[in-house]
Amino acid sequence: MNFLARSVRAVRPVRMVRSYATEAASAGLRLTFAVPHQTIFKDVSVTQVNIAAVSGDMGILASHVPSIEQLRPGVIEVIEAAGSKKFFVSGGFATMNPDSSLNINAVEAFPVEEFSAETVRHNLAEAQRQSNSASTEEEKLAAKIEVEVLESLQAAISAK
Amino acid sequence: MFASRAQPVASVLSAGVQTRNMGTLREIQLRLNAIKNIGKITKSMKMIASTKVGKAQRAMESARVYGSSSASIYKNANTVPLENEDKVYIVSSSDRGLCGGIHSSVAKATRRMMAADGASSNVIVLGDKAKNQMSRTNRGDIQLSFNQIGKAIPTFAEACAAADTIKTSGVKFDTATIVYNEFTSAIAYEATPINVYSPEALKAADAFAAYELDDEVLENYNEFLFANNIYWGLVEGHASEMSAKRTAMENATKNAGEMVDRLTMTYNRSRQAAITSELVDIITGASAL
Repeated sequence: MNFLARSVRAVRPVRMVRSYATEAASAGLRLTFAVPHQTIFKDVSVTQVNIAAVSGDMGILASHVPSIEQLRPGVIEVIEAAGSKKFFVSGGFATMNPDSSLNINAVEAFPVEEFSAETVRHNLAEAQRQSNSASTEEEKLAAKIEVEVLESLQAAISAK
Repeated sequence: MFASRAQPVASVLSAGVQTRNMGTLREIQLRLNAIKNIGKITKSMKMIASTKVGKAQRAMESARVYGSSSASIYKNANTVPLENEDKVYIVSSSDRGLCGGIHSSVAKATRRMMAADGASSNVIVLGDKAKNQMSRTNRGDIQLSFNQIGKAIPTFAEACAAADTIKTSGVKFDTATIVYNEFTSAIAYEATPINVYSPEALKAADAFAAYELDDEVLENYNEFLFANNIYWGLVEGHASEMSAKRTAMENATKNAGEMVDRLTMTYNRSRQAAITSELVDIITGASAL
């Protein structure tokens, strides 16, 4: 029952992702989005947050089912009353609490506008080369992770 | 440091001033120069620490938001440790000294917690000074020690490396308590624990069932929380240490200044006494003619 409820909720907001959500609940969604060296949002009232989770993309509104999602390298879009902002995160976790507060902890997150496509392309080629020439299993895995993050970043920059 | 040494020296000097002669003037002068130099060193150390405090405090604000938001799950789910869980204490300090009571504060708090536990627990120390402190009483319990901590503001990469090393080191533990110095104000800090609960304790927490979670994600989540809490403890501990170092160096400079004043007075009095006695010799010699 739970699984069904979640999949229904996950699907509905994604189709509505282009539109602003209406005043969903009286409490409103409160977002705290932090990386180790910087606090991007601290207990800010927002309308909707779209996250790229390992289990799939999802849009989170107030009164979303409480859950803990692992984030994959991808774009997090924060939709406020004033407008929307997109951040590329390298990974982390998003925790939706029963009191309509959402905590997103990411290892690194930057606005998508701040990336330069040229540098990403260059780094991606470098990482691909390294993943092919890596000797130990660990190096190969590290290079593959880097390639995955950079490919996702490239897709995010070109999608905007 | 300086305050404890000043008292005996001053009393010796004032007692012996009546019998002073020219020889000791040189001694006082040497001592005066030495203390002036020390005062210059502590003053510059204070200024360096002041600039570092500003940066460390800003990093601490971000780390606090990051760490407390990440650890809020424990509070929200009403997590408590399970019975018979292996505990490990992670004492977060640094390699550097001259920072007041920072290292002894975390060590004392850890010892107090270990005594309240009853059974002996494993200890992991972050920082050589913490290792020295804990070795005094619990040398056998120290399983792992890290150094090269405290030179700069701790980064998340360092915290991750530490968490990784701890996890793969074979130290058996279910729940961890990170003891660090909480930055309560610019002049005060307090040793505080951060509890990192085991995945089992989290699953057993009563309000945790409300959260939807894939099982394979739970283990990753736990490791993530572990690294986040270590990061938080390291960064806030670093900020407390910088502020304590600033205070300690400020006190040291003030004490050195006071000693210089006192010694200068003594020096001048000795000098004048020597001149007076010479004059007296000359005058009595002249009046005898």
